[in-house]
Amino acid sequence: MDLYPFFDWLDTSMLADISKAHGGVFAVVQMFHLLGMSILGGMVLVGDLRLLNVVMRDTPSEIVIENTHKWFSIGLATMIISGIFLSSAVSLKLYYNEMFWAKMSALAVGIAFFYLVRRPLLSVPHEGIKPGLLKLMALTSIAIWFTVAASGRWIGFS
Amino acid sequence: MLNEWLLSLARFLDAQNWSTQIHESIYLYAWIETTHVLTLMVFLGMLFVIDLRMLGLAFSNVRASTIAERLDKPMMIGLVLMVITGVLLYFAIPVRTTQSLWFRIKVVLIVFAAVNAFAFRARMQASVSTWDTDPTPPRHIRMGAAASILLWAGVVVTGRTIAYDWFDCHKELPYAIYWAAGCVDEMAAFASE
Repeated sequence: MDLYPFFDWLDTSMLADISKAHGGVFAVVQMFHLLGMSILGGMVLVGDLRLLNVVMRDTPSEIVIENTHKWFSIGLATMIISGIFLSSAVSLKLYYNEMFWAKMSALAVGIAFFYLVRRPLLSVPHEGIKPGLLKLMALTSIAIWFTVAASGRWIGFS
Repeated sequence: MLNEWLLSLARFLDAQNWSTQIHESIYLYAWIETTHVLTLMVFLGMLFVIDLRMLGLAFSNVRASTIAERLDKPMMIGLVLMVITGVLLYFAIPVRTTQSLWFRIKVVLIVFAAVNAFAFRARMQASVSTWDTDPTPPRHIRMGAAASILLWAGVVVTGRTIAYDWFDCHKELPYAIYWAAGCVDEMAAFASE
């Protein structure tokens, strides 16, 4: 599916008018993008490091994981909403940027992994899950979100 | 006086080979900046978890002291890496960064955030035994956590705006901005007019 029409529309939308004309607004929205990414990153790291037995070993992993879900979603929503605004400033340039699509692919994998794999699997008592599988899931999760963040930053250099 | 000294130091650093090599490298500067942003995610991520607990908005069924103590080490690891990469980024472009109004505001906000963190930690240690298991901590603790989030949000936005040239010294700006940004030569030219 070619998404060019969406990027073409975004380039001439009201969002683009604001993001292109007002650098201050762009910077503040970028702050929310980074803060959303930090909230998401914090929740991912705390949950995954707990599964890896690195932090909060005296707190059951089910409690730690359960507490991260709501704020993960808030961080993700903040990232996506602010990300669409940021994209509007250079939407056609992004459409032709390979690193942007690498980030979008990693993001799609991350969202699918979180909501379709990690969350359902961890909704049962963790004692019933093989420790090796828990650790593999944590490492995979960290790797995916690291890729999202790193490729996102690299868009600016490519 | 301070501005002249800071500019002299920046020019000295700018004359070093290392500074030029980082700045002109195709990938090194990008890698350092990417690491800076990723470690910011580690540091701020842990900070958010702690502050959200202190605001009573997350992990309310876990002791506040457990969250603060167990996440302190990964947060400090993130902070140390962030500071190291931040110093390298400054070292790569010392003169422009020294004369960046945003960088100066960022440094002031970091100082305020550090003072708030020490005061917050002292207040927390003094009283945590009385509210450790409460889902919502007392007001003074919540205020400290809110201040922490706001100050670090300010650090992020001013860090980002360093890249913009709105208040760079080469532009025609009011004297007060030249003074705040430390535009020593422009201030001298202004005075001689």
